[in-house]
Order: sequence, then structure tokens, then C-alpha cells
Amino acid sequence: MPFGKNARVLRDIKARVEVQDSEVLRRAYIAVARNETLPSQVRYQAQLQLNNFTKYQRPTTVKNRCTETGRGRGILSKWGLCRYQFRLKALKGELPGVVKATW
Amino acid sequence: MSALLTCARSRLLELTRLRCDIFSTLYNPLGLRTGAKYLRARLRGPSMVQYYPKQLSFKELSRAMPELKLVNFEEEQRLFDVAERKKRGKGAPKKAKSPEESRRLAKKKRK
Repeated sequence: MPFGKNARVLRDIKARVEVQDSEVLRRAYIAVARNETLPSQVRYQAQLQLNNFTKYQRPTTVKNRCTETGRGRGILSKWGLCRYQFRLKALKGELPGVVKATW
Repeated sequence: MSALLTCARSRLLELTRLRCDIFSTLYNPLGLRTGAKYLRARLRGPSMVQYYPKQLSFKELSRAMPELKLVNFEEEQRLFDVAERKKRGKGAPKKAKSPEESRRLAKKKRK
């Protein structure tokens, strides 16, 4: 196994699942809150409902971490790897189309 | 174009209404926000969940195929080590039943 999932990755997975579960409801509330044709009281209520969602139900909590090591910084989003794992894998030739630059 | 410019505003609005009827779009001459863009946007959850590649844990594997009778050597080793440590009197201390027994809470009280 390349890595035992660390707590931050587990937390991120939890956030991703919860975001997915609550996404439709959240979208509906956002649509009501941003709808200028509805009475302001209704819009305000919808906005209050949006505040009731937990931290893990908001998509901004989700962070792309390294899929190999779980590192949170220096991620190349195209491969989902941190810079060091990207280098290792690229040098091993595991990333199709990635070659070391020489000139 | 010049003919359009000379048209009355009401006529132009009428045209827009007609266009909305034909193409079945919402007639919104004031340009108010209707929140439709939040409903129209694709859901991001499904792709978010797929970010980390699925890893099969030992538990899942053995539960899926109980007929194989797999043995988790790492876990067996850990349990063996714990038993060995306990034998030598190096096991985990017993759970404290009162704050007096607990070293951590007793320390807090003294301060």
C-alpha cells in the first residue's frame, strides 16, 4: 500500500461525501436566496438556512490533496500529485506524455 | 437598424416578449437575477468524490471473499506484540474510574 490514509485525507474524503449529499439542497437554497423576484422575507429565510449547513457540507472545505502522500501543498492539479511525487513518477515514466526537459 | 431605433420602446418590449414565447425562455425585461444560473450549473459533488482513487482495505477484501480465509499478518503481529508486552507488565494502564485515579486530571487540580 503506497500510503496509510492520514487524518487530513480522511477528513477531506468525509467533506467530499457530505458536499455531494447536501449539494442539491444547498443549490436550491442558493437559487432562492439569489432570486430577486421573490419577496425579501423568503430570500432572507433561505440565506439563514444556508448558514445552518455544517463546515463539511460547504464545497470550499474540500481541498485537493496529493493522492499518493496526502500532502496539501504544491499539488499539480492535473495529476493530483504533490511536486515530489510528480517528479518521482515522471522520472519512472508512469505519467504518460511527461518527459524531462533538456535543451 | 435605423428603423428599429425609431420604434417605440413598448413595441420593442413586445418583440422581446414574443421572442421569449417562441423560444420558451423567461421574459425578464428588467434583468432581475432569478437564481437560474445556480440551478443550471452542473453538480460538482460526483466528480469531487472520485478525486482519491479507491483503495481496497483488507477488511473490505476479506468481507467480500470470506471463502478465501485471508489472514491479516500485520494485525496478527500487532496483537501478538501487545500480548507479549502485557506479559512483561508493559501493557496499557487500566482506565481511571474517578478523577483522583487519573494522573492527568489530578495534575490539573493541583495547579
